[in-house]
Amino acid sequence: MNTIEEKLWNYIDGTCTPAEQDAIARLIEQDEVYSQKYQELLLLNQEFASMELDEPSMAFTYNVMETIRTENARQPLKAAIDKRIIIGVGAFFVFTILALLIFTIANTHFSFPAGNVKVNLPAGIKLPSAGSIFSSQVFKWFLVFDVVLALFLTDSYLRRKNTAKHA
Amino acid sequence: MQSKLSDIDLIEQTLAGNQSAYADLVKRHQRFVFTLAMRFSKSREDAEEIAQDCFIKAYRSLAAYQGQSKFTTWLYTIVYHTAMTFLRKKRVATDSIDDEGTYIQVENHESAYDADNVENKSRSYYLNQAIEQLLPDDATIITLFYKGEQSLEEIAQTLGMEANTVKVKLFRARQRLKEKLERNLKHEVKELI
Repeated sequence: MNTIEEKLWNYIDGTCTPAEQDAIARLIEQDEVYSQKYQELLLLNQEFASMELDEPSMAFTYNVMETIRTENARQPLKAAIDKRIIIGVGAFFVFTILALLIFTIANTHFSFPAGNVKVNLPAGIKLPSAGSIFSSQVFKWFLVFDVVLALFLTDSYLRRKNTAKHA
Repeated sequence: MQSKLSDIDLIEQTLAGNQSAYADLVKRHQRFVFTLAMRFSKSREDAEEIAQDCFIKAYRSLAAYQGQSKFTTWLYTIVYHTAMTFLRKKRVATDSIDDEGTYIQVENHESAYDADNVENKSRSYYLNQAIEQLLPDDATIITLFYKGEQSLEEIAQTLGMEANTVKVKLFRARQRLKEKLERNLKHEVKELI
């Protein structure tokens, strides 16, 4: 069970149940040991409550506000950016891709027995040759760039994760 | 007029782009935040750096403050985490100097300095001196409880602990503070004799 001191601190802080509160109040009235300890802790409690707060330098507020001003002032509020804009941009791309897909499928004639797929595009539209795209030098460099970019992003992500872990 | 505004009002004004409202918020809480920072760093320069860092972090994430808890509870959580990170970095930088050793050094330095000003010493001086000798967690809990107007539940939220754990820690912190206070006062009486 709790020590006398622990019980009395709970009584002073008001963190015990009403029944315990009554029991301790009675003990303080009747028991000399409890009464003396209670007075001692009460004084100590007053003393702790009288502690003074430290004062920062005069320029404290100014320094904080200057740092905030020099960092982009609006940056802290970027979380307040309207999410509808982001959703709108995303929806535009999804809609474009879907429209292109539907258009392509609608103009495709499948002839499975022959194993050929014929695409009849409207007059004037010519699809570039897929073979020439994949074998071109530009495509190879594009792939190399993608790999390098993926490695770079993975590296920075892992570094950030590592820093956060050690912070 | 401005001083009558609540923390929430000032936050709303800040989010609307009024930076002077945030300056008011800083002025309102700077003493307590600085005192909390002092509980960890023991040096005014470092404490000021921690406190400034806290207010800047709070400003950056002000839009994320949902108002589910008191602003002070939210702010003190930032202070606690910033100070803990600062301590960890400092420990790495100083090649893990023992904490108690550091405090004893600070304590002795204070005693030597104040030997010339014995007459000016008051009860509050001894109390502050005793708090400085406590471990950061004990000093923080005592400060939050007595000066931060925080309930045990709010302190638990700030420190990321259970309310019962905070209750036990507060009890132990008070006991340690009482011992240190008594020891310092005895030492002072001996010095005077």
